[in-house]
Amino acid sequence: MSTIALKTLFLKEVRRFSKVWLQTILSPLVTTSLYFLVFGVALGSRLREISGVPYIQFVVPGLVMMTMIRDSFLNTSSSLFQSKINGTITDILVAPIGALEMVLAYVGAAMIRAIIVGTLVCLVALSFTWFPLHHMGWTLFFTIFVTATLALLGMIVALWAQKFDHLAIFPNFVLLPLAFLGGVFYSIDLLPEPWHTVSRLNPLLYMVNGLRFGFLGVADVSPVTSAGVVLVSFLVVLVAASALLRSGYNLRT
Amino acid sequence: MKPPVLRCRHVTKRYGKFTALKDLSLEVYEGEIFALLGPNGAGKSTLIHCITGLAKRSEGSIEVLGFDTVNDFRTTRRLVGLVPQEIGYDPFFTPLESLMIQMGLMGVEPNRSRAESLLETFALGDKRDAYTRTLSGGMKRRLLVAKALVHDPRLLFLDEPTSGVDVELRRELWQEVEDLRTAGTTIVLTTHYIEEAEKLADRIGILHKGELLLVESRESLLERHGGRPLEDIYLELIRKADGRHAA
Ligand SMILES: Nc1ncnc2c1ncn2[C@@H]1O[C@H](COP(=O)(O)OP(=O)(O)O)[C@@H](O)[C@H]1O
Ligand SMILES: [Mg+2]
Repeated sequence: MSTIALKTLFLKEVRRFSKVWLQTILSPLVTTSLYFLVFGVALGSRLREISGVPYIQFVVPGLVMMTMIRDSFLNTSSSLFQSKINGTITDILVAPIGALEMVLAYVGAAMIRAIIVGTLVCLVALSFTWFPLHHMGWTLFFTIFVTATLALLGMIVALWAQKFDHLAIFPNFVLLPLAFLGGVFYSIDLLPEPWHTVSRLNPLLYMVNGLRFGFLGVADVSPVTSAGVVLVSFLVVLVAASALLRSGYNLRT
Repeated sequence: MKPPVLRCRHVTKRYGKFTALKDLSLEVYEGEIFALLGPNGAGKSTLIHCITGLAKRSEGSIEVLGFDTVNDFRTTRRLVGLVPQEIGYDPFFTPLESLMIQMGLMGVEPNRSRAESLLETFALGDKRDAYTRTLSGGMKRRLLVAKALVHDPRLLFLDEPTSGVDVELRRELWQEVEDLRTAGTTIVLTTHYIEEAEKLADRIGILHKGELLLVESRESLLERHGGRPLEDIYLELIRKADGRHAA
């Protein structure tokens, strides 16, 4: 493995999103903060406790996870897809760079972006409400493995996509609804059957609830179950993304 | 004896059912300029892509300095440079940044003074901090050449580097190619300007519908045809081959 190439590709990806920070950092921060203001601060003052914590605290980890899911996905998918379309992927394809370096560099940079936005959202929330960090270990675990999983999914979608529409399907029609239905704003215990059971099929439920347990120590699902689902998802996309890159799928003709 | 810089053996490339290269064998030797000529769609870019890693060969073997381009791709890609036919550029980075990044991607420690001197060589010194999208077509083309050289490749592919480039710039580019060869780089180029190949190339290969019709040194080729211009010889060969295919 070439460490110089890995370092260069990673820094290139970090610089790419830093150069357009209005889009990549500020925009998700503003959107997520608005959700927080509307649901957490305005409506939250009218709502009772949920799962034993004040509603305004309840939504914080949900919103942090929702934006990290979206940002890590968007970072890899848009970067890789754009370079496929404008032809600059050639620079990487002719270089002594293997699938491993590509995965590490793209995923690493996407994680950095997602964690920056997630941290900033926490800071915005902190200016309105105190909230605990119940379990640092679980918080880190879910932050790292969820952002890595979504970054890998973003790479897979970018490889598969042939036009911009394909790329837009995922964040808007898959990730956003699944995050909402995964309990960002509510506990699925509030749902009647069959929706309670149906909700348990949604992998994003475990991501949201995993981080919520890390922050607040309460969740609809035990952290061990959530961790299991997240780890399996991570391994599936890791194997798939590596295999696609190694085969040159939609990259090398 | 040293292995040839490039050795293609029985290379076949299929895109689905279409065969773009048919059982092609070719060797290119250290320090020569090899011109690959052929009509549009003959498979010139396909061959270059199979060697440089942009395409996957279907059959056969390709070696650069004795290393297989698939199994030892890390070694061969470090040895090979490519100026692609299509101009692609990264809107996020300036020419200087692009060169520094490309050095790193090629596995060479990024070196600012080397990047700056490459920009000077290709008359891009005053554009080093410009947005790449504001560069003219010719400048972008020169930047592509500079990018292909950041790691001092032993074998350089130039895929129609002069298409859409004005005559002055074409001359400069070919001068640069001669200088590179003098410095020891082996060069494989494709061009539509046959007279340019006639001036520059040590050996010439003519590709037609995925098959090499001829590989010969320029001297013997011209001598064999009584000093007629290469363009005439080329056209005659292509017509003959077309007739054979039509029959
Ligand atoms: N990615 C591809 N998929 C399918 N066919 C291709 C692809 N790339 C090239 N071809 C076909 O292969 C043939 C050779 O193309 P190419 O190597 O670009 O020719 P040249 O560079 O000599 O003009 C053409 O018929 C072209 O249409
Ligand atoms: Mg071509």
